[in-house]
Amino acid sequence: MGTILQFVVLGLGLGAIYIGLGTGLLLVHRATGIINFAQGAMAMWGAFVFAQLRLDGTLVFPIGSIELERRPPVAVAALIGLAMAFLLGLLVHYVIFRPVRHAPVLAQVVVSVAVMITLQALVVLRFGPNNIDVDTLIPEGSFPLLGAEIPTRELIMAAIMVLLAAAVWAYLRFTRAGVATRAASENERAAVLMGFSPDRLAAVAQVVAIMLGTIAVMLGSSLTGLNADNYTLLVVPALAVLLVARMESIAVVVVAALLMGAFQSLINLLITKPFWPQWAQSGLDQVIPFAVVMVILFVQGKRLPSRGSLQTIRLPDVSIPRFKPIPAVIMLVVGVAALSFTQGTWRFGITTSIIVMLLALSYVVLTGYLGQISLAQGAFAGAAGFALSKMTSQWGIPFPISLVLSALVATALGMLVALPAFRIRGAQLAIITIAAALAIERFVFNNYTLSPPEGNPIADATLFGLNLGVREGRDLSRMAFSLTVLVIAAILVWVFIRAASGDTGRAFLAVRANERAAASSGIDVRKTKLIGFAISAFIAGIAGCLIGFSRGQLSAESFSVFAGLQVLAVAYLGGITSVGGAIVAGILGPLGIVYTLLRGVFDLGEYYALISGLGLIITAILNPVGIAGATREQVAWVRRRLSRTPPPTAQPVAPAAPPKEPSRV
Amino acid sequence: MSDTAKGLHTRELTVRYGGLVANDSVSIDVDPGTVVGLIGPNGAGKTTFVDAVTGFTTCEGEILLDGTRIDAMAPHERRAAGLSRTWQSGELFGNLSVAENLLVAARKGGWRTLVRDVFGRRRKSGDEVVERALQVVGLGDVADTLARDLSLGQQKLVGVARALAGGAEVLLLDEPAAGLDSMESQSFASRIREIADSGPGVLLIDHDMSLVLGVCDTVTVLEFGKQIFTGTPAEARTDPTVVAAYLGAPVEPSHA
Repeated sequence: MGTILQFVVLGLGLGAIYIGLGTGLLLVHRATGIINFAQGAMAMWGAFVFAQLRLDGTLVFPIGSIELERRPPVAVAALIGLAMAFLLGLLVHYVIFRPVRHAPVLAQVVVSVAVMITLQALVVLRFGPNNIDVDTLIPEGSFPLLGAEIPTRELIMAAIMVLLAAAVWAYLRFTRAGVATRAASENERAAVLMGFSPDRLAAVAQVVAIMLGTIAVMLGSSLTGLNADNYTLLVVPALAVLLVARMESIAVVVVAALLMGAFQSLINLLITKPFWPQWAQSGLDQVIPFAVVMVILFVQGKRLPSRGSLQTIRLPDVSIPRFKPIPAVIMLVVGVAALSFTQGTWRFGITTSIIVMLLALSYVVLTGYLGQISLAQGAFAGAAGFALSKMTSQWGIPFPISLVLSALVATALGMLVALPAFRIRGAQLAIITIAAALAIERFVFNNYTLSPPEGNPIADATLFGLNLGVREGRDLSRMAFSLTVLVIAAILVWVFIRAASGDTGRAFLAVRANERAAASSGIDVRKTKLIGFAISAFIAGIAGCLIGFSRGQLSAESFSVFAGLQVLAVAYLGGITSVGGAIVAGILGPLGIVYTLLRGVFDLGEYYALISGLGLIITAILNPVGIAGATREQVAWVRRRLSRTPPPTAQPVAPAAPPKEPSRV
Repeated sequence: MSDTAKGLHTRELTVRYGGLVANDSVSIDVDPGTVVGLIGPNGAGKTTFVDAVTGFTTCEGEILLDGTRIDAMAPHERRAAGLSRTWQSGELFGNLSVAENLLVAARKGGWRTLVRDVFGRRRKSGDEVVERALQVVGLGDVADTLARDLSLGQQKLVGVARALAGGAEVLLLDEPAAGLDSMESQSFASRIREIADSGPGVLLIDHDMSLVLGVCDTVTVLEFGKQIFTGTPAEARTDPTVVAAYLGAPVEPSHA
C-alpha cells in the first residue's frame, strides 16, 4: 500500500507538467481555435536556458550565446529562462500563429507541427541531443507514511501547478479580458464589442500558456533531466488530458493531468512485478494516452466543441492528374541517368529521395485527396519494415512477396487508424494519429523483446537469381537496388494516377470537399476513408520496406515520430496535392538529394532538420499550395503572358464566391 | 394510401433536439409523379424533416420508400435506394467541375471501383446521365465550370441536377429557387413539373409562395414542428389556420 502511494506521488511530478501543458493548450485553443502541437517544444526552451545557465553559466540564444562570469543563482536563472519563454511566446504568436488564424485547420495543424519540429531541432543543435541535468527549484524531502518514504518535492510541484492553473481559471472566469477571451472562442465579434482586440487577447493567451508550460517543465525536469525528444512529445499526453476536459474545463484538466501522471507512474511499478509479461514492459506508459484519447473520442467525438463547427478542411486545389506517357518516360530517363552517373553517397541520396517521394505520395493520397490528417505515416512505414525483417530473416519469404505482404501489414494498421476518422476529423484526428504513432514507436519499435537492440536484419532481395541488394563488397550503393526502387516507385505512381483520375479519386475529392454532400450523393464516406487510409498506408509500407532494404537492417530511429513528421514537413513543402509535389518532397526529404548536398558540399548536414522545419513554417504561412503548386501557377501565368490570350473564362476574373463565415452558434 | 405504396411516406416522424421537439409526428406522402409542397415559417422544422428523412439526423417514427422501411439506413444507402436531396446552402463540391459534381452521384465508389480504376478501362458511361441531368435544369453550358464559380442560384440548380443524376425515386428539394429571380423562378417551376411528370415524386420546400402554391399537387404546412395543415393549394389559400399562421393574407393566384 505504501509503495503504491509512493509511486502515485512520484507520478504527480509528471502530472504537474501535464497541468502546465494542458492548461496552456486549453488557453490557446480558447483564444485562437488552434490546437498547438508545439506546446511542449515551446515550453522546454526556457527550461533549457535555465538548465544551461545553472550548469556552466552560458546564456544560450537561438543564435549565439553569452558566457557569464559566474553561474547566476537559481532564482535569477529561472527568471531569465521565463523571460526567454515570454519572448518566444510573443514571437511565435505574432510571426507564426497570427497569420494563420483564419487558415484552414490543416494549415494550422501543419504550422504547429512545423514549430514543434523546428524547436526540437533547434534545441538539439543548441543544447545537444543528450539528457542534461536540471537544478531543482524545490528542496528535496520526504516523510514516512504507511511504511514508505513519500517524497515532498512532487507534492509541492503539483500544488504550485494547481495554484497556477487556478489563477488561469480565475482570469478566464472573473476578469473582463478573460470573459472576452471565452467569448472570442465563440464569436470574435463579441470580444470586439466588449472593447478588446481578439488578437491582443490571443497574444496574452499564447504568452501565459508558454510561461505556464515553462514553469512546469522547469519544475518537472529536475526529476528526470531535460531531453529534447521526450519533452517535445510530452504534448501528446497533455493533448489527451485536453480532450478529457473537452477543451473547456481547467478543473478537469488538472484532475485528469494528475491522474494521468499517477497512472503512468503506477504502470512503471506494475511492469517490474514478476507476473508481468516481459514483452509488454516497454512503452506501456505511452499506450495509456493513446487509449485514453481513443476512448474519449469514441465516447464523445461528435460532441467535442470545434470552432466554427462543420468547418470542412479547405485545401489547395487539386488538378486531377492525367497519365501522360511522354513526361513519364522523361522522368524515368532522368532518374536512370541520375542514378547511372552517380555512385556511392550520391546515388544513395538519389535512391533515398525516390523512397521519400513515395512516403510523400502517401500523404498526397490521404491529405491532398481525402483531406484527412495523419501524423502516423512514419509508423505505418515502420510497421511494414519490421514485418519485412521478420519475413526475410526469420521466415525466409522471397522478395516480391515479402515486400507486398509487409506493405499489407501497414495497410491493416492504416485501416485500423481509419476507424477513429469515421467520427472525427481535423486537429482531433491529428491528435489521435500522433498518439498512435508514439504508442507504436515506444511499445513496438523500441521494445527490445520485439525488436532486439542489435537491430533487425533484413536479407537482401533477389529476383530470379539477380542480386538486388544495396551493398556488395565495397560498392555501398549498387545500381541494381536503385533501379529496383525506381521501378517500384514508378509502378506505385502509375497506380496512384490511375486511381486518382478515376471514380476513386473523384469520390476522395468529394469527401474532402464536403462529407455531408458526399453522403447525400450516395458516397459511403466511411468506406471511402477506409480505402484512402489503406492506399496511403500501403504506399507508406512499401516505402518503409525499401528503407529497410536500403539499410540492410532496421532501427527504430528510421521510423520515429519525428522522422514521420519531417516527411510531413517536406510533403507539405513540396505540395501535398500532386505527384509533382511528392517528387519535390523526395528531393528535399531527409537523407535525400538536398540533404546529401547540404552535408557533402556545404557541411550543413546537422542543420537539415532545422532548415526543413523553418521551410515548412514559411510555406504553410505564405504558400499553402507548396513549391510544386506555386511552380504550376507561375508556369500557367507565364504561358498566359506568352500566348497573349485572355484566360479561358472570357469574363473578368471576379473574386469567387466570398468565403463563407463559419456558423458560430 | 397504404404503406406498401410507391413513393415516400413518413408515419409520425418525430425529431427531438434535447428538450426541443423540432418535428412532432409529421406524416407526409410523396407519391410518384406528384409535387408536394412543405411550407412554414422559419424554424418550423422543414429542413429538419428533410434531414431526418435522408438520415442526417436521428428521428422516431417510420420512413417508407417504395414500401420498404429505410429509417435504419445510412444516408448513402438511402440515396442508393432512390431517395435524393438538395441542400439549402448548395453544398456542392466547390473545387470540382459541375460535370464532376454530377459524376460523383452517378458513379459508385468502393474497392471494386478502385481495382477497375487502376487496371480496367476508363468508363464513359455516366456522361450522358450528366448531360441529361444538366439539361433538365437548363445548365448544359456550364458543365466544365468549377462549381464554386457559379452564382448561388446556379449552384442550387446544379444541386438539383446532382440529386437527379444516378436516378431518383423521390427528390427532396430544400429551397432550390431561393437564389433565382421571379422569371427564373417561373421557368424553374415548369422544370419541377417536368421532373415529376417523368416519374419521381418531389417534395419542395420554398419561401416563394407563388412557386409552391402554383406547382404543387398537395401542400403541408409546419408550424413549430407540428403539421397544422395538409391539402391542396386551393384549400391552403383559404384555410384559416394556415392563413393565420403563415400566409398572413390570402394569396391571390394571379400573383404568380
